Amino acid sequence: MVDFSRVQKELQECNKDVKISGISVKPKADSLSHLIGTIPGPVDSPYEGGTFLIDIVLLDGYPFEPPKMKFLTKVWHPNISSQSGAICLDILKDQWSPALTLKTALVSIQALLSAPEPDDPQDAVVAQQYLRDYQTFVGTARYWTEAFAKTSSHGMDEKVQRLVEMGFPEALTRSTLEVVGGDETLALEKLCSN
Amino acid sequence: MEKQEEINSNPGADWENFRDDDIMLQHSAIRDEQAHKILFLGDKEPLSALAAEYQSGSSILLEKIKLLDEKYCAIRRTRGDGNCFFRSFMFSYLEHILETQDKAEIDRVKVNVEECRKTLQSLGYADFTFEDFFALFLEQLESVVQGADASISHDELVERSRDQSISDYVVMFFRFVTSGEIRKRSEFFEPFILGLTNATVDQFCKSSVEPMGEESDHVHITALSDALGVPVRVVYLDNSSCDTGGVSVNHHDFVPCSLSNDGSSGLEINPYITLLYRPGHYDILYPK
Repeated sequence: MVDFSRVQKELQECNKDVKISGISVKPKADSLSHLIGTIPGPVDSPYEGGTFLIDIVLLDGYPFEPPKMKFLTKVWHPNISSQSGAICLDILKDQWSPALTLKTALVSIQALLSAPEPDDPQDAVVAQQYLRDYQTFVGTARYWTEAFAKTSSHGMDEKVQRLVEMGFPEALTRSTLEVVGGDETLALEKLCSN
Repeated sequence: MEKQEEINSNPGADWENFRDDDIMLQHSAIRDEQAHKILFLGDKEPLSALAAEYQSGSSILLEKIKLLDEKYCAIRRTRGDGNCFFRSFMFSYLEHILETQDKAEIDRVKVNVEECRKTLQSLGYADFTFEDFFALFLEQLESVVQGADASISHDELVERSRDQSISDYVVMFFRFVTSGEIRKRSEFFEPFILGLTNATVDQFCKSSVEPMGEESDHVHITALSDALGVPVRVVYLDNSSCDTGGVSVNHHDFVPCSLSNDGSSGLEINPYITLLYRPGHYDILYPK
């Protein structure tokens, strides 16, 4: 059995200081065993400005069993699968304790965004890029944040569309936008100077 | 899920895709298998049952068990799931209270429990993270006092100690108390922790005290004994022998600082919790 009275208290506690932390947890539907968490991308990271949604499933036995968490928002990070959103973090596995909460778990995920651990990767491709070509990693992570984690990111296709209409090839437009982190003006300058 | 089935149907074929989730599933499968073999808390067994385990084994151990036989009459096993120290402590303590009906001890330990609650609050733990565990322990403590509606018999105590929804909650209560005590007196515990793991006090509490299933060391025992003011004797049974070739059984008494520092040094402290330690595991011992 999930301890729902505790989950209820956790939601109240977490959403009390959402204005300061930016971190919130809400039930996905009527059930308290399926929740959606929200974390803001940390400042001074390629995820800054993004809002990341986390899918949270509470198994029977919570808080003795860790919450199952994965990213719903696509994210480019060595410890998060770029395909499935699976997260590699010890406190979501054997280092979980009932002394932790959904909020502290989300805070730890936010900290993981700031401080990747490429030596213990979830996504090997991202981890290799992080280690071998850090600048490209930062550019890609920023582009993904722009493309998938911003409310305005639905505009990405339109940006591509506008540049394509100016006469630039679509593939080049996309990769250029990626490099400059989705900034349309910078992309145009770059495309013109080529 | 698809991946999991693949691994089950063809073990070892897909190690590259063997993810953390799969490893966790495997761990819990192994734990479940263990659970069917050994209860959280076993029945009281004569010491001869211990000797039988080593019949074809080390002669040093057999000699030591003979020595144990002079002082102790029985052993009660606990499940080897990393929580054995806390489960042994829980049953031993509650059984002692049930048998002695020592009201003064109950009042005394309650004061310490409230102190532990304040410690956690002052360390910044949110109340809802620990209050259920505290409440459940206090409920067990009340229930072993006879003469009330909620009183329980010895058999019921054994039964409850085998009930996961009670036993795990009490284990977690002890883990909170232990962690709080270590953090509160971090300067005292720091050198011991550094000797064990090279971790900071905070890291140690987060990774080796607060998660379920993390084994207990002398740091945990010292902290729990100090926090609750309950002395513990640990009897060591291992393959070591003296240089002279003779065999003896060592024990160590964990005496809470509140008892050892109050100047009444003339009084000999006789712990009523006695645990048998074999490398990696604690069981309960019963003195003659």
